[in-house]
Amino acid sequence: MANVLEVKGLSKQYTKVLAVDKISFEIGEGEIFALIGPNGAGKTTTIRMISTLLKPTDGDAIVAGHSVIKAPEKVRECITYLPDEAGAYKQMTGIKYLRFMAGLFTSDIDGINSCVERAKNICGLGDRLNDKIGSYSRGMIRKLLLARAVMTKPKLAILDEPTSGLDVLNAIEIRKMIKKLAEEEGMSFLLSSHNMLEIEFVSDRVGIVSKGHLMVTGRTDELKERYNAPNLEEVFERVVNENEVH
Amino acid sequence: MKFINLLKKELSELINAQMVFSLLFSLAIFIIMGNVMQSVTAEISEEASHPKINICDLDNTDFTNAMLDSFITEGSNVKIVSVKNDDYAAPFSGSNMKSYVVIPKGFTDEIKNGKKPEVISVSKIKSASTLSGFTGGTDGTTSLINSYISYELAEQQGVSEDNLKIIEAPLKISEQTVVADKTAKVSSTTILGKISTQNMILPIIVLVLLMLTSQSLIASISNEKIDKTLETLLSTPVTRGSVITAKMLAAAIVALINAGVMMIGFSVYTKGMTSAVTSDLGITETVTKSLSADDAFRQLGLNLSAVDYALVGVQLFLTIMICLAISIILGALVNDSKSAQTMLLPIMMMVMIPWLISVFTDVNTLPTAARLIVYAIPFTHTFTAIPNLMFGNMTEFWIGLGYQFVIFIIVMFFALKLFKSDKILTISLNFGQKSRFKKSRKTTED
Repeated sequence: MANVLEVKGLSKQYTKVLAVDKISFEIGEGEIFALIGPNGAGKTTTIRMISTLLKPTDGDAIVAGHSVIKAPEKVRECITYLPDEAGAYKQMTGIKYLRFMAGLFTSDIDGINSCVERAKNICGLGDRLNDKIGSYSRGMIRKLLLARAVMTKPKLAILDEPTSGLDVLNAIEIRKMIKKLAEEEGMSFLLSSHNMLEIEFVSDRVGIVSKGHLMVTGRTDELKERYNAPNLEEVFERVVNENEVH
Repeated sequence: MKFINLLKKELSELINAQMVFSLLFSLAIFIIMGNVMQSVTAEISEEASHPKINICDLDNTDFTNAMLDSFITEGSNVKIVSVKNDDYAAPFSGSNMKSYVVIPKGFTDEIKNGKKPEVISVSKIKSASTLSGFTGGTDGTTSLINSYISYELAEQQGVSEDNLKIIEAPLKISEQTVVADKTAKVSSTTILGKISTQNMILPIIVLVLLMLTSQSLIASISNEKIDKTLETLLSTPVTRGSVITAKMLAAAIVALINAGVMMIGFSVYTKGMTSAVTSDLGITETVTKSLSADDAFRQLGLNLSAVDYALVGVQLFLTIMICLAISIILGALVNDSKSAQTMLLPIMMMVMIPWLISVFTDVNTLPTAARLIVYAIPFTHTFTAIPNLMFGNMTEFWIGLGYQFVIFIIVMFFALKLFKSDKILTISLNFGQKSRFKKSRKTTED
């Protein structure tokens, strides 16, 4: 399985805080990789560096063969990013929003139309797409944004807390959507979450981040076995505790 | 294509039903106010050509009757009012009359005995409007009575009409106004009046333009930051330069639309206002003055040429660009909608201070320290541009333009640097906190 993302010693130093310290991991084609960790662990900063929004102070990340430092424009052509608690333009209708976003990835009208059609099928919002986004519920906005994130068939979709703030039913629907896209279309995902149950269900591999360090990576069943834990939550607890002891 | 897509999105966010409604509303207000002013002007004009004289002649002698007849002969609209038992309020009931004059009993005898006769001026106040005082007063009537008595007395004393005019105004003033090395036979008040009328619109349009431009750009950037749509936008395959250029261009287009509508509305309003105020001087005098003012303007070289207007256009363009560049920086500092409103304050102050100073005084007459401070504000040079061009102060104009260009380059450099760096997502200005420039906790640590 070829790697879509290779993160090599990625670091981010703010004036006083070292937010991310030499993180390294990789994601294969069609793989769902999740970064998990408590609030303030460095997940969002890592994701923002891979999305070319922040410049790393050390290390590099290679997305589909392009460096985030040397060729950020090329990287942006291969990825899509869905920020945590992101909104959309409230004055636009759902369909206009999808059309606008598709137009940022391609100038070809047919390409735009095909992206929008795909997003319409994925989000399942039907006629509500003709309504203004300002009238949507939180769940509807998240579905729209997720459809937007995958409509261009990116090599890597980066989703920060994809189900945060959603009710159980909407969260389940979105998890299923992500899994289906990875299995059926071979799309790779980099997720971030502190919801262990969600990650256990949706991801192929996880990386546990604490205080800017990537403590451990592996398949959930492997980690459960390694740490002799019944679920990912306890794996996480033991890893974080170990980190604090050391 | 991608840039057009971005520009269309920015424009569709800014041009909405709310904006169209507020534009139409402002336009309607200006038009209504202009019409009110014009109707006041028409009333003043009518009263100047056919003065309304409301008079109560309690003396009722041959002298007073002859006087009233002469008023009618000269085109005045004389209305006889009846007052009984000193009840001055009674004549106003059921009438639109605003004032009247009472000629008391014994008026003619006083004149014959060489004494100063007295008339009673009665006015009714119906509203607090200042302009309502321009019409309907008793000044016209008392002035006519004064003139009539003067001519009668002069005739009795054997003084001719011409001699009487000399006695009333013995001094003839020939006013000359000098601008640079040119002279015109006109009063400086007339020239200054014309300059202020001509230059009234532009500063207000500049003011509106700058306010709207900065408000829309700050709101556009801060809303994107607050809703996190900026993160999504910047992670797509478009350059940060094109994102910011689309925002700047859209804000400028919308501001120009607003300014255009305001200009039309304000022109209508000013037309009414100017006529109303100048009519107070007397219709004939106003017409003569404005004609001579036009000629004098040409003679003094105060008319702006096409090149001058082009230079004003360049200066306006630079002013808007500076405003947009400052707005990018201010918008980037905002992390909540409350701060977005507050952020407009620095720009408002920078525009209002030089504008108010230019309205009330000449910046060059200020003490050196104050003058330097005012000139350091880039928008000052926008307000002084037209006067500088009119009075041929080309050195001052070019220094102002050059200064604005340098300021624009500096501010734009920092704005682009900010937008292209991590800071566009991490910096925020937190009001009321010890550390004013504090990075978002989540961004720093998460």
